[in-house]
Amino acid sequence: MADTGAPETIVRSGAQWLVAALEAEGVDTLFGYPGGAIMPVYDALVDSRLRHILVRHEQGAALAADGYARAGGRIGVCLATSGPGATNLLTGIANAYMDSVPMLAITGQVASPLMGTDAFQEVDIFGMSLPVVKHSFIVRRAEDVAATVREACAIARGGRPGPVLIDLPKDVQLARAAAAAARAPGGGPAAQDPRPDAAALAAAVTLLARSERPLLYVGGGVGIARAEPALRALVAATGIPVVCTLKGLGAIEPDAPEFLGMLGMHGSPAANHAVQSCDLLLVAGARFDDRATGKLDSFAPGARVIHIDTDAAEIGKLRGADVALGGTLGIALEALAAQVRRPAGAIADWRAHCAALRTLYANRYDAPGQDIYAPALLHELSRAAGPGAIVACDVGQHQMWVAQHWRIAACDRHLTSGGLGAMGYGLPAALGAQLARPDAKVFCVSGDGSIMMNIQELATARRYGIPVKIVLLDNGCLGMVRQWQELFFEQRYSEIDLSDNPGFVALAEAFGIEAFGIGRREEVPAAIARLLAADGPILCHVRIDPRANVWPLVPPGKSNGEMMDAAA
Amino acid sequence: MRQRLHVTLRDAEGALQRLLGTAERRGFRVCAMHAEAGGDACEVALTLEGARDAALLVRQIQRLHEVRAVKWTPG
Ligand SMILES: Cc1ncc(C[n+]2csc(CCOP(=O)(O)OP(=O)(O)O)c2C)c(N)n1
Repeated sequence: MADTGAPETIVRSGAQWLVAALEAEGVDTLFGYPGGAIMPVYDALVDSRLRHILVRHEQGAALAADGYARAGGRIGVCLATSGPGATNLLTGIANAYMDSVPMLAITGQVASPLMGTDAFQEVDIFGMSLPVVKHSFIVRRAEDVAATVREACAIARGGRPGPVLIDLPKDVQLARAAAAAARAPGGGPAAQDPRPDAAALAAAVTLLARSERPLLYVGGGVGIARAEPALRALVAATGIPVVCTLKGLGAIEPDAPEFLGMLGMHGSPAANHAVQSCDLLLVAGARFDDRATGKLDSFAPGARVIHIDTDAAEIGKLRGADVALGGTLGIALEALAAQVRRPAGAIADWRAHCAALRTLYANRYDAPGQDIYAPALLHELSRAAGPGAIVACDVGQHQMWVAQHWRIAACDRHLTSGGLGAMGYGLPAALGAQLARPDAKVFCVSGDGSIMMNIQELATARRYGIPVKIVLLDNGCLGMVRQWQELFFEQRYSEIDLSDNPGFVALAEAFGIEAFGIGRREEVPAAIARLLAADGPILCHVRIDPRANVWPLVPPGKSNGEMMDAAA
Repeated sequence: MRQRLHVTLRDAEGALQRLLGTAERRGFRVCAMHAEAGGDACEVALTLEGARDAALLVRQIQRLHEVRAVKWTPG
């Protein structure tokens, strides 16, 4: 018979198409938990080369996928059954949405004829997740599965990244289909010109040339766009001082003389004072989040604004821009660096002022007493771990101490739940990060409240021998809430006491994890050495003073110029 | 302030819900709506009311993946 040249028709089940499509997308790891409505996919996994990490709670799957994506610079994939499996994913999906993390969340769904009948384990996860996904699909035909996976991955990774959900009814997973049909082209944002508009660029260059006190306000968008080199080149070319948001930390080297620290609620006074007195704010991949700006209408009151962002919908959302630079963030920064003809000497007075602020407000680690001073411990640990180390943290005081005191060398080495502020993020994110970057030293810094939100993932660390190093800062309470009740609710402490915590060392050991505890300052150096020397997962339980607070602090509703400090 | 929007959507599952949800979550009340599906598209005429910047809402709607075009008439 003559060879027609036609490709051989492959017939697969929807579940097999899903697995094949994930492999074709270069996915090698996924995090999940099985159940009735996703069983055909789990069956297909048996024959696949995908590495499935069985977590112990679906929230852990989504957050581990998030950590995997952030640290690995690739899409994170999580998988759950319908109903409770799907709803358990939601916090992790929302987290990825708020922090623009590329994620694919796949949920099983009850069979199509049962959808809409309140069937066992049926929830409308498509509807429930609408506000927290970049996009979502219900796949109705097995022949659409592969094309949907392709489109979903492209959407998750493209432009400003985010999570995409695919809901897959069980009958679609089981149905056999010949080939992936081509999908009708989607709508969506028209393809953007990656270059900034020439007139806007010229206007930005003019504003920069005229400014006497320019300041770069850098957000997480710079790291997401992998534009750190472009940012650093712009700083080198112009000498403009830099402040970073929580997620922007690492975009510039911690020792760079231009770096003034984090701005905002727990920002450095140097950063906040510089923002309040600059005359031009060059905003790169930041979104004027309320934690960064404090009282918005008194934020950078004398500044004109150049706003650079890949997402046009961020420009002008909370603060108007005098000049908007869209397109690809790195290209815009490079174009500015190439065109601005203004040496650092032109803003010498301003640079000297900022350098003086930096010196005046430099962090100090000489706290009195013999209790362990968490900021000093974190600072020492990050020095010892080196610039390649990755830190994932939970939410609370310890998260702010990490931001203030850990030497963050690159954005993808600091994993923090910035937008959602989800306690429980740290441990699963660290596990995901370690799987994405097996050669890196990965730390999880957690609090005694947060760690309990996903403590079950110690079992995952144990099962797969994932060598994360957990530093558990135990103040016996929900420290950040306690601090607010102390300062803003007249010390009327309400439901913050955790003094009946489990014995964390024994608990970790019960999971098969090496663990030890410290409580005095002189024990810190040996603890750091032990953490660094460990080959497998390890937990260091650190008892700290429950009264320790995070300083400085901009009180809620106040301007960033009105910081409180310990002496207040 | 009332705003009129005409949005052309790809007629995909959930597209209308996504559009209306975006408008409501971003601070606009849907006062009137007419939607008509034909071929692979759905034409939606919306009258919205809200104090926030409608130009920003238009950009937020343009980000949605089923949205093919948005026309906005203030007032
Ligand atoms: C899931 C979730 N629930 C509640 C909160 C509110 N919250 C923010 S910080 C905090 C206390 C965190 O306590 P802990 O983990 O012990 O950290 P610490 O502040 O003591 O360092 C709480 C309850 C939250 N951010 N996330």
